[in-house]
Amino acid sequence: MIEIDGKEIGDLSSFNTEKIKSDLLTLNMGPQHPATHGVLRVEIKTDSEIIAEATPYLGYLHRCFEKHVENVDYRGVIPFVDRMDYLGAMGMEWGYSLTIEKMLGTEVPRRAEYIRVLVAELQRIAGHLLFFGTYAIDLGAFSPFLYAFDEREKILRFFEELSGARLLYNYVWIGGVWNDITDDQLRRIKKFIDNFDEELKVFHSLVGENKIFIERTANVGIVSEEMAYQYGATGPVLRGSGIDWDLRKKRPYGIYEEFDFDVQVGRGEKGTLGDCWDRYDVRVREMHESVKIVRQCLEGIEEGSIMGKVPKVLKVPEGEIYMRTECPRGELGYHLVSDGGKTPYRLKVKSSCFTHVSMLPEMAPGQMVADFVASIGSIDIVLGEVDR
Amino acid sequence: MLNEVASFLNSAVSGCGATAHTPEVGHGHVLVESAHLHACAKALNESDEFDMNVLQVVSGVDYPERIEVNYMLASFTKNTEMILKVKLPKTSPTETVEVDSVVDIWKSANFLERETYDMLGVVFKNHPDHRRILCPEDWEGFPLRKDYVVQKEWEGMEINPAHKVNSGDHFFFKDVIAKMGGDEKKVTYSWKSDAEA
Repeated sequence: MIEIDGKEIGDLSSFNTEKIKSDLLTLNMGPQHPATHGVLRVEIKTDSEIIAEATPYLGYLHRCFEKHVENVDYRGVIPFVDRMDYLGAMGMEWGYSLTIEKMLGTEVPRRAEYIRVLVAELQRIAGHLLFFGTYAIDLGAFSPFLYAFDEREKILRFFEELSGARLLYNYVWIGGVWNDITDDQLRRIKKFIDNFDEELKVFHSLVGENKIFIERTANVGIVSEEMAYQYGATGPVLRGSGIDWDLRKKRPYGIYEEFDFDVQVGRGEKGTLGDCWDRYDVRVREMHESVKIVRQCLEGIEEGSIMGKVPKVLKVPEGEIYMRTECPRGELGYHLVSDGGKTPYRLKVKSSCFTHVSMLPEMAPGQMVADFVASIGSIDIVLGEVDR
Repeated sequence: MLNEVASFLNSAVSGCGATAHTPEVGHGHVLVESAHLHACAKALNESDEFDMNVLQVVSGVDYPERIEVNYMLASFTKNTEMILKVKLPKTSPTETVEVDSVVDIWKSANFLERETYDMLGVVFKNHPDHRRILCPEDWEGFPLRKDYVVQKEWEGMEINPAHKVNSGDHFFFKDVIAKMGGDEKKVTYSWKSDAEA
């Protein structure tokens, strides 16, 4: 019995709540929503706070770059691929250059290979730092973003010095890299890396070990091993589910086989294996591994040329190839079909973000809206790569 | 490895006509009859020997008389990868072609097949949610076909106005494209075979 002002208002337990039917409310998340990391629209049907159904709508950034590059010569494609994952452009360029080099049989000089690993790993750190900062914002913490962007800025400054651009570098070219790196720059990277390794531990203790953060991410948005395989997940999402898979180790490209580093996999430390916290944790530990690789790069870098022998007019022999590389957000694959001409006949990109978005309809049902935001953030998508 | 896959498929799926192609340059593929694609994919996915547990990407390629659909399969347990290919003949440029969907084998096929439909007009039979994905639902034509021409108007908006038509002047190989038989005034160019055949 409930009494208000001394009056009985009836026994609530006699109400049969199952008889109260509530309609599903359709809500649009996005296309412009801070938690969708770009222009993604997710139509969610909610029963009060619980999501019953989520449907992603893509294409707001669709530029059909695959069509454009059919009109551009092979070297001219590189600025286009920059604009897919604009937060991991070095990885995009490297994957493309590798595809063409494999078809041409070009040998890349050792110094260029070292520089490529160096910039790719710094890019991985920058990409994961952006994830670190924006993910904390998604979950309502603003200050980690400032810490992360402070460090990221240092990497971007360095890239600007190296290539002239902050995000879209056009730096890794077919056969090598565009610009040589100076000893002074290497020294400054060393200084940054030494400092960063310590800073990152502080960042992690601020965010990853924070009680509120753990409550928001542990046991949320679980991606099981089976689901990860079914959806073709790659990168930190796959490793977060406890699967030991990294192309840099399993199918080494470039000179990765000479480096000593570990593949970080999710451990289910704070909750279930494959939850949001695991994906966050994998990325943080990966940054430490990248630091290790950069260190070895700085020690091992050799003198020499930075550009291999590539013909002035590039004609790729007839045939097809599918090459994939490990980018910050997952595996990036290029399917190139050449008819022997000066432009690609067809260039299809396998985008890891695209496959990760397709997991959302399965992750969402039963989640709270706020947890869904945490899930979208944890798969770390860049819409430029999803829509291409 | 491709030869083993082909002989495995021939014994597992009768009449699939699997043949392995290993070129000198680039990667090879296994070609199967399009009618048996679903059975072949299922066999590769379920076999203990190959265990193709991941479908990485579906990539369609347009040719004058056919559309090829490539399935990039990978086994993350055996560390192998391969290209499974089907050829779908077409008689007219605007015609859509059909092949079985593999969504029930790999869920990743859902979005990937939708994209292939959107871009190349390949209809996937038994797909649970067969819609366009990147272009608007009422878009006309399939952009990645070689003979695609952008429509004039969409929802009252002029989308390819004359003053914005890409003249192609800035293309490095404008004359090459012209030689290939394409109209460089369009954003697209036609097949090479048109000019050289």
